[in-house]
Amino acid sequence: MTNDWVDLKNADVIFIIGANPASNHPASFSWINDTREHGAKLIVVDPAYTRSAATADVYAPIRPGTDIVFLGALINYAIQNKLYHEEYIKAYTNALTLISPDFKGPADLDGLFSGFDAEKKSYDTTTWKYQSEKVKDAAGNDISVPKQAVALDEPNTVFSILKKHYARYTPALVERICGTPQEKFLQVAKIFCATGAADKSGTILYAMGQTQHTVGTQNVRIMAMLQLLLGNIGIPGGGVNALRGESNVQGSTDFALLYQDLPGYLGAPTDRHPDFKTFAAKFDTTSYWINGPRFVVNLLKAWYGDAAKPENNYAYDYLPKTSGNYSWIPLFQAMGAGKIKGLFCMGMNPAVSGPNSRMERQSLANLDWLVVMDLFETETASFWRAPGTDPKNIQTEVFLLPALDAMEKVGSIVTSGRRIQWRPRVSAGPGEAQTDIWILDRLAQAIKKIYHGSPETRDLPIRDLTWFYGEGTDPDPEIVAREINGYALDDVKDASGAVILAKGALLPAFATIASAANYDAIACGNWLYAGYFAPADDGRGIWRPAARRRGQKDPGNLGLFPYWGFTWPANRHILYNRASARPDGSPWVENKKLIWWDAAQKKWTGYDVPDFVATKAPDAKAVIGGAGLAAQTGTDAFLMKADGKGWLFAPTGLSEGPLPEHYEPIESPVTNCLSGCNTNPVVKIWATNQDKPIGDKLGLCEQFPVICTTFRLGEHWQAGAMSRTLPWLAEIQPELFVMLGKDLAAARGITNGARAKIISARGEISAVAIVTARMKPLVIDGKQVHMVRIPWHWGWAGLATGDCVNDLTHHVGDANTMIPEYKAFLVDVRKT
Amino acid sequence: MPHLSRRQFLQLSAGVSGSLLLPHVADAAGGEDFPLHKRVGELATICPYCSCGCGLVIATDEHGHISNVEGDPENPINRGILCPKSIAVRQLANSPLRLGKVKYRAPGSNQWEEKSWEWTIEEIAKRVRKARDESFVRTIKVNDKDVTVNRTEGIAWLGGAANNNEDCYLATKLMRALGVVYLEHQARL
Amino acid sequence: MSRYAMLIDETRCTGCRACQVACKQWNDLPGEQTRNRGTYTNPPALSAKTWSMIEFNEIETGDKVGFYFLKRGCMHCEHPACASVCLVGALHKTPDGPVVYDDSKCIGCRYCMSACPFGIPTFDWDRGLLNNALIRKCEFCVDRVSNGLIPACAKSCPSRVIAFGEREQLIAQAEARIEKNPNKYIKHIYGKDEVGGTSMLYLSSVPFDQLGLPALGTTPVTALSEQVMEYTVPFALAWGATLAGVAAVVRFRNRGKRIVENEKSET
Repeated sequence: MTNDWVDLKNADVIFIIGANPASNHPASFSWINDTREHGAKLIVVDPAYTRSAATADVYAPIRPGTDIVFLGALINYAIQNKLYHEEYIKAYTNALTLISPDFKGPADLDGLFSGFDAEKKSYDTTTWKYQSEKVKDAAGNDISVPKQAVALDEPNTVFSILKKHYARYTPALVERICGTPQEKFLQVAKIFCATGAADKSGTILYAMGQTQHTVGTQNVRIMAMLQLLLGNIGIPGGGVNALRGESNVQGSTDFALLYQDLPGYLGAPTDRHPDFKTFAAKFDTTSYWINGPRFVVNLLKAWYGDAAKPENNYAYDYLPKTSGNYSWIPLFQAMGAGKIKGLFCMGMNPAVSGPNSRMERQSLANLDWLVVMDLFETETASFWRAPGTDPKNIQTEVFLLPALDAMEKVGSIVTSGRRIQWRPRVSAGPGEAQTDIWILDRLAQAIKKIYHGSPETRDLPIRDLTWFYGEGTDPDPEIVAREINGYALDDVKDASGAVILAKGALLPAFATIASAANYDAIACGNWLYAGYFAPADDGRGIWRPAARRRGQKDPGNLGLFPYWGFTWPANRHILYNRASARPDGSPWVENKKLIWWDAAQKKWTGYDVPDFVATKAPDAKAVIGGAGLAAQTGTDAFLMKADGKGWLFAPTGLSEGPLPEHYEPIESPVTNCLSGCNTNPVVKIWATNQDKPIGDKLGLCEQFPVICTTFRLGEHWQAGAMSRTLPWLAEIQPELFVMLGKDLAAARGITNGARAKIISARGEISAVAIVTARMKPLVIDGKQVHMVRIPWHWGWAGLATGDCVNDLTHHVGDANTMIPEYKAFLVDVRKT
Repeated sequence: MPHLSRRQFLQLSAGVSGSLLLPHVADAAGGEDFPLHKRVGELATICPYCSCGCGLVIATDEHGHISNVEGDPENPINRGILCPKSIAVRQLANSPLRLGKVKYRAPGSNQWEEKSWEWTIEEIAKRVRKARDESFVRTIKVNDKDVTVNRTEGIAWLGGAANNNEDCYLATKLMRALGVVYLEHQARL
Repeated sequence: MSRYAMLIDETRCTGCRACQVACKQWNDLPGEQTRNRGTYTNPPALSAKTWSMIEFNEIETGDKVGFYFLKRGCMHCEHPACASVCLVGALHKTPDGPVVYDDSKCIGCRYCMSACPFGIPTFDWDRGLLNNALIRKCEFCVDRVSNGLIPACAKSCPSRVIAFGEREQLIAQAEARIEKNPNKYIKHIYGKDEVGGTSMLYLSSVPFDQLGLPALGTTPVTALSEQVMEYTVPFALAWGATLAGVAAVVRFRNRGKRIVENEKSET
């Protein structure tokens, strides 16, 4: 989330698309209903009339997988009706930046962008780049900077490209592709685009309904673009807000339990970074990322201590380097091919949650060993005795380690709003169950022991690994927290030689790293968490580790609650909050003022911690050739971007284009009526065991005419281990069900409460039919299309049991993130 | 009847409707006294389900088992309210289905065997070494140059978005030290 | 007139069922074994193990569909019929508002069940008739209220549907909401006058009978039952017949409601 849960109370319009917070994030509705009491409007766009839709001011139906058309049409509506926030986009976005004149878009190239290589299924992005011009720095050297236009409508500006691109996205097209009646779309457009006014704010809430698509990244991009256009980023009541699913999925992502990253989004090195120098060179030098290499050194100091020294480039070689994509789908493909021998699952249940889960369960049988750390015997732990499986044929050894739950151990988690809160141990656990930290600590010590004294160079990363988390039997989470927070290994000094952090002291903020001369005297496991465990005032003069604070003060009454826990980065609650003020530094509107420039004190002041250089004046000029933020101006509100701008057009970083363009889901009952490019042209299609009963198979609409979208329920949680085992939750949602409309049910002879079969090219499941008027067929390009909706929480373990819905889904992921397309695929439903 | 002060009651009751109640509670008993049938709770923590991060107030019995769950009225995120899952956290902690012993399933076996932690940790460490050493790649050629990659593709890690930051940190640290690159979790799904 | 009440604004409800589970949690009630019958409503009805629940109603008007949620549980009548027919005084209304039940007095006759115009009290069949059988229903978290805490369901509600407070103030608040949003609400506070008034007050955007609340007059059911009881008390052997009479009156009054319920598609 760019903003926070509590910040919903500041919104004038709440726009929910691809989420169902009334069901899945109920706490949000206390804030949503609060602000609605004061006149705010709630919009819900969803394929089904959900519990969130039930009380909405406007509900608009949409076909799964067509969000870009809907959101693109909102961009078009805002531009055509001049509802965009002109002063905001000129100052804070790249709207005025000029793009290469060689750039061509889907309007010219029938759905493709310039630079497409059909053979490689990838783009050469040269023509997407900014135009640059040469300017002289103080020393007279030529420095290349992005070229800016003066007026929005000049040729080749980002704005004019955007305008042309989305001119194709009309209300009529929305009706034709999304199936949303035009008048419903226009109702949404009128209400939401009104937040382009300087004194209004609108927030977008989304979840997996946006990400689980082959165009998932572009779905998220286009929401951000719309919000930039309306001036809704960086302000109270605005933002692009991902409603994340697990209690600490934000934290597990921050800590890079993903192949392509290192803690704090530093990016994992690849084989294109043979040494530290080339790795350090990947960071921007004209943004805050100039500090990236320092953060990497701090991480390596945390991991390798004295073994990480300038002479060996801080043990950079110890870090594994990737060659290609190791994400979920390739991981299970490699497991299916027998390449992976051992698997650890910590609180994860892939046997239920993975795409084409029947195939993935089959892959588990290729493992020599499997270690599961969990609260319950999950479907993953018991895959060898899944229904229809003969344990005799499965040679995998399984170690099932009993873990203590969140109430029974100590540590911190971070909310979707980036607020870190500390949990004490409040209850006793069962039998010999242990904390995950204890298990990891024991394992690490055992592994270090067997590699002890190994003469092999390749074993140095294990031998040199720092691993000391307390005396006695139990590792201490607070010692881990100190290492994550960062501390001084020696006196840390600034350029003048003054000590800014004494040896042994905890890092108060990552700014200390940036201003340190000897930054390698700091060990810090995650720079974004710098300060989270350092002592801080709770607003009442009581100092305690920041994440443990329970201070209730709320300066400005905006719901920031800066003394409660600790919000990364640097206790900033609303990201990019420089944009909450006008270019001249004064607030856009009095009742939503967040930070502002105090000319007398020559600094930014206000209620939130500025996401900006606190002493940089609004009229500050960029230093030509300056390093880091010196290269940015007093209105460059997006300090993590090389040009300091919010990107309405992404010149780099995206696989399928600088602007989101509609492509059909990989499995769709219709062809793309916007262009000749039917599906995302750069998506990888796997083809393992296509001819076998279990394999990578795609279905055609002749055989599978019904769109299926999977979803989550408020009564259950994820793969079900923590909810299908609880009698109170099993009682209120006991069985797997499929929701289908009355027309489809009648056509198939399926009655309410009877069982139905759902079949895809991958598999077949059985579920209770809920026949409902809340699911209605849509007319897509003149053709009636039916949808079904299935909650995916079930499996064979626990109290409430049912088939694994992911037996239906396929190994096809987003072109950038490889997140599977769970939200739009083809099935048929039959009576049983 | 637990010994909770009136003040504590007030704090715990100041949920969503608290403002309606607070001015009147001072003489709330109305002539009849109904003692609380259990303690309300005093241990504040955070819900383990979705990412709202709602505050909970927990009471435990003499065995340390959860006997009551309330929303934490001081937590600014939820102000005392909860959802069905967060309330059910009591059954999560007390479930008879929870694992209390290490279990091991041998190749081809159709049952679990209970094992000690000592045996288990040692056996897993041995298997980690074997899988790592057999699949370890120290260098590869990129454009005819040796690049140190220090990785193993023989071991994979999945999880965990339900774990604490400190758990995740140790996992990421240990796995990368081993050279694990097949490192993924819920955020990918 | 009882002191406390709950105002349940169903226009805000999203059917999350925090109230339903919060009730079980505070009252230490077990989960019931259920199955999906083509609806989210579960368990199917109130029982000795389920004292408060959400009923999901899908209502179609033309091509428009509405999804409505009714929080069902004891209404805590101002003149509780259940208490008035209880031969042994096991049920009574406290001055604060809750209609409470005393296990030690109950003889398991179940007259209260027949008398209640809302069909609320349930019998704990698990314990059997002879094994100290018990009547079960919501007691308005009387122990919480008595100790200055708001009821568990109201405390948990994320969508701010359930407000707990003084009855008179809540009625004023409900009237103010109707006045402020005349297009949103049905102009009626259910429970303000029904059967002489209840401690549960409802606001809705759809007619209450469609939501599942019976259309009842303003005369307390107790007036009827007490009248009948006056004549029958001397004739102990005729108790059963009498209460059947009370039940018949109630059933007659509820007939309209049941027809509505039966016709409603369950979702």
